[in-house]
Amino acid sequence: MAANRSAAELESFLAERAGHLLATAVLLTGGREAGEDLLQTAVERLLRRWRRFDGDPEAYLRRTLCNLAIDGSRRAGRWRQKERLLRTEPGQSQDATGDVDLRDALVRLLLQLPVRQRAVLVLRYWEQLTDAETAAVLGCAEGTVKSAGSRGLTRMRELANDWTDTAAMCGRNGNG
Amino acid sequence: MMNTDIEDLLREGMERFTGELRAPAGLAYRVARRRRRRLQLRSAAAVAAVLTAGAVALTAAGLPGARDNGVDTTAYVVKRIDTALSAAEPGQIAQLTVTTRGPVLPGGTAVTTSAEEWSYGDQWRSVTYSSAGHPVYDEGLSKSSVYTLVSYVTRTWTRQSGLGPPAATLPVSSPPAGPRGCAPSVAAVPVIFRFGLPGIGLPAGSLLAGSLLAGSLPATVAKALRAAVSCGTLTVAGQQRVDGIEATKLTSRPGSLLSETIWVSPGTYLPVRVVARSAAGLPALSQTADITWLPPTAGNLAKLTVPIPAGFRRVQLPQAVTPILRQLPPGPLPKLPARCLAATRLVPKAPPLLGTAMPAIARVRLSCLITSLPRRG
Repeated sequence: MAANRSAAELESFLAERAGHLLATAVLLTGGREAGEDLLQTAVERLLRRWRRFDGDPEAYLRRTLCNLAIDGSRRAGRWRQKERLLRTEPGQSQDATGDVDLRDALVRLLLQLPVRQRAVLVLRYWEQLTDAETAAVLGCAEGTVKSAGSRGLTRMRELANDWTDTAAMCGRNGNG
Repeated sequence: MMNTDIEDLLREGMERFTGELRAPAGLAYRVARRRRRRLQLRSAAAVAAVLTAGAVALTAAGLPGARDNGVDTTAYVVKRIDTALSAAEPGQIAQLTVTTRGPVLPGGTAVTTSAEEWSYGDQWRSVTYSSAGHPVYDEGLSKSSVYTLVSYVTRTWTRQSGLGPPAATLPVSSPPAGPRGCAPSVAAVPVIFRFGLPGIGLPAGSLLAGSLLAGSLPATVAKALRAAVSCGTLTVAGQQRVDGIEATKLTSRPGSLLSETIWVSPGTYLPVRVVARSAAGLPALSQTADITWLPPTAGNLAKLTVPIPAGFRRVQLPQAVTPILRQLPPGPLPKLPARCLAATRLVPKAPPLLGTAMPAIARVRLSCLITSLPRRG
């Protein structure tokens, strides 16, 4: 795309794609407010170079979201760990009804994975990027993406197997 | 279960998790406004940095106005800190990670506690952690003066409105002694260092010297810090690296009852770390507060809200406070001077000890007690 873009162009792009990018940000951070903050920060970076920006703004924002999430997680690791303790009691469902679906459980597990592993799974299965595209966004080798994705899926599968075993014991439908 | 099944389930879970999300309207406008604000703050900080660099250069060059190595620099730096803190309130949220070490009672065994705190305008929140890092208490005051206390010990929570304004705004019957409202009476520190008891232990931010010196509790951390630096007891003691930045270090003068060191960011002049220690001869107490200044975004403001964990039982305030009071060591507490009892009566609907306004009363009484103690030496 040609440089010297207008503010209206940015607004129209965001009107169309911000919802999807917000979802990516929320999956990367684990919360709506944190996701909104992350997206605003990424959009601010885009805004800074918008007039002369020459490229795909969505790809730029996706890459920035991932980098910010990984950097932020490194900086705030200790505090987030504590914050998580405040929100979730061990062995206790957040869902007041106790009716938790395996899909929800998988997303919760996703949010507890190390941020780089989480970013890989979000990019692969939410953004539907290939391993090579994911590697380009994260700035790492394709092999790293494959191994991180595989580790994440292994944990998901373990959870799912436990889940179906428990559901069978309780006579509950594991597929929700 | 097959990988493809897991992938599909994960994809569906993600869709469900984000299904109701809508991007805020006018995102570009919001971001542009946020950027403008940040640039304004940054340019103010840059001007301050340039001015300080000038002041330091003048000092180094021995030019008129900088004759005494340190004194003029201190005055200048203190002024800049004061200005920065003034601008930070209510513009920014102070987030503190606080580690406190001291005996519950004078002569007792030292205990280390840690807490996370946030302070913004009249709102505050404090989470106390056990030595294993688990939350013990989570308490806070909302914008509308609703006090919430969650006890992870008893798995209960309570909420009480109408506790009145924060203790800081309640008048204490007589003004504190000393220059510019600075009355250093830290002998009462063991009383308020009491193991982070909600409603009794004070938000750690208020333990910063400012609150002790100013004669009443600070409504905000920024106010407490302003009081501390404006009392004229700090001297610039060079630069030191704190969390990756070359911070300006200020220390309290020898002979102070409370030995304090404050590190401020050279860019913003906002304090980034405060270490307070009791002077020799007093019970060994120390507190370190690492401070981060956060913009009031929706995500950061949410940190001021006390979350109620699922499965916790709601109880009345007196019921919530009773187990906490039981933790107080046996033996009489220091006798309250008459004027402190009078100050207590200023709390709206002042009830007996375990009445509904217990936290506010406890805070007023303790703040009054601190300022009533005789000056040392």
